[in-house]
Amino acid sequence: MVEIKNLTKHYGRNAAVKGISFEIRDNEILGFLGPNGAGKSTTMNIIAGYLPSTSGSVTVCGHDITEDAIEAKKCIGYLPEIPPVYPDMRVEEYLKFCAGIKGVARADVMPQVERAMERLRITDMRRRLIRNLSKGYKQRVGFAQALLGSPKVLILDEPTVGLDPAQVSEVRQLILDLKKDHSIIFSSHILAEVSAVCERVVIINKGEILAEDTIAHLEESMTASTLLNMTLDGERDQIIRLLKDVEGVKDVRDVKEIAAGRWTLAAELENERVRDEIMQVLIANKVGIVEMSMAKLSLEQVFLKVTEQAGKRRSSLQDLLDETPDTPANPYDAE
Amino acid sequence: MFALYKKELQSFFFSPFAYVLASLFMFIFSVSFVTAIADVSSNTLRFTFSNIFYNNFFYFIFIIPILTMRSFADERRGGTEVLLFSSPLSVPKIVLAKFLSIVTVYFFMMLTTFFFPLYAVLTGGQVMWSSLACAYLGFFLWGLVCIAVGMLLSSLTGNAIIAAIIGEIIMEGLLFLDTFAGSKLVAAYPRLNSIVTWFSMQRRFIFFSEGMFRLEDLVFFLTLTAVVLCWNIISIEKRRWSHS
Repeated sequence: MVEIKNLTKHYGRNAAVKGISFEIRDNEILGFLGPNGAGKSTTMNIIAGYLPSTSGSVTVCGHDITEDAIEAKKCIGYLPEIPPVYPDMRVEEYLKFCAGIKGVARADVMPQVERAMERLRITDMRRRLIRNLSKGYKQRVGFAQALLGSPKVLILDEPTVGLDPAQVSEVRQLILDLKKDHSIIFSSHILAEVSAVCERVVIINKGEILAEDTIAHLEESMTASTLLNMTLDGERDQIIRLLKDVEGVKDVRDVKEIAAGRWTLAAELENERVRDEIMQVLIANKVGIVEMSMAKLSLEQVFLKVTEQAGKRRSSLQDLLDETPDTPANPYDAE
Repeated sequence: MFALYKKELQSFFFSPFAYVLASLFMFIFSVSFVTAIADVSSNTLRFTFSNIFYNNFFYFIFIIPILTMRSFADERRGGTEVLLFSSPLSVPKIVLAKFLSIVTVYFFMMLTTFFFPLYAVLTGGQVMWSSLACAYLGFFLWGLVCIAVGMLLSSLTGNAIIAAIIGEIIMEGLLFLDTFAGSKLVAAYPRLNSIVTWFSMQRRFIFFSEGMFRLEDLVFFLTLTAVVLCWNIISIEKRRWSHS
């Protein structure tokens, strides 16, 4: 549906996007993930035809976005980071205007506007001035605008920013509903959000793609690692040595002394069963166990791992997780 | 394109904007009108509307940047530019739609001044319609150039106020060019003189105001408008490509 090839964008001397390639398939929701300033918005602006790229190509529904711009843009509904609304217009008036510039046939304008308003639940607000709407409602008006003209491709740049939790889940549900008729690319810097709606994710940082994988794989990678947080009484070196000797312990990190002879640390385990063995070893060696708790490696931690190691592209997140414990740049390593 | 034109018109007419500017314009016009009547010295009350137009232009030229200042600067500042440029409208169409909407507002403002000749007729005066029509046409054409220039400035900056101020400076410069063309220094150099007077819009307007319709002037104003509009399109495209 959308094909991005070697896309590069320079702002003066700075490269915001460095030769990225990926594709959005028919009727899929692609998550586009990266920290702030990673080049997400730039990429989306280029796909939507707002900014031209420095080099590389974007093809939407078979039309090149620079050479066949008008036809390509007809296939796109775009919700930018800041909803592009006119504060002096009323909601309905604004949506009619948007339908107009998107070339919706006159007879179709009202039905489409009604439908978009219903989907975003802003029908009650149709007569309100956009200026007087809350951030969440402005966001929804911007979203409604993207749906007009029934574009095949939807580009949503952080659609849930500024919404309250109830609205966030509404919008997520909406995005899932829209999947039937649209191919969607959805950007976010919150992993939980992406994992809730997307099948596939592209992770980008500093203008480069770090990983491209399915959510299923992502979740697998997450559960593959288990963290055991401990507070122990004893000698630092002895504790670390004992733990590392246990089979199934992948890594020991975050070692900190919180009181004289009392340490907190985290051990990364292959599976939960290793925990029993650790307890036995510790007790046998007379290490005092103050506290012990299990924690899954959170999505956020996976995300941080990925984004903090730029420069290397992995075929899957699993590879990435396998190699991270040895990297000193990782914040979860021992200090 | 019509949708954008309509929206732009609404932004003028659904707000006090167009009306305040039109009333300001009418006020200036009425002051000139009253002064012209008061200035009449002979027994026959005779004055020309063309002169009123002529006097008015010095004020009017400062109203136009206010009319055009928001056209692109506000879109940029409000982030709505993204909506326009990612829509299936091409840049020339966007520029043209905005230009036509401002021209419409301008036309509306000129229409309000028609009150004065009408008033003159209704109170028993005689109006030379052919001369008046010519003056209106010249006035309108001059306005087109100023609108195009104002829009170009608005697209160059993200701040409407700055666009307006720079617009005033340019308009002032255009007036200066006219005065300069009439100076003795320029008159001393025939070549320079021919160039400067060729670009002097005021001089061309005088022909119109005297009821003389010259094809040359019509072509001059229209091509100049077209050139500035094209410049506007190019400058927008250029900014998108080098966006920083």
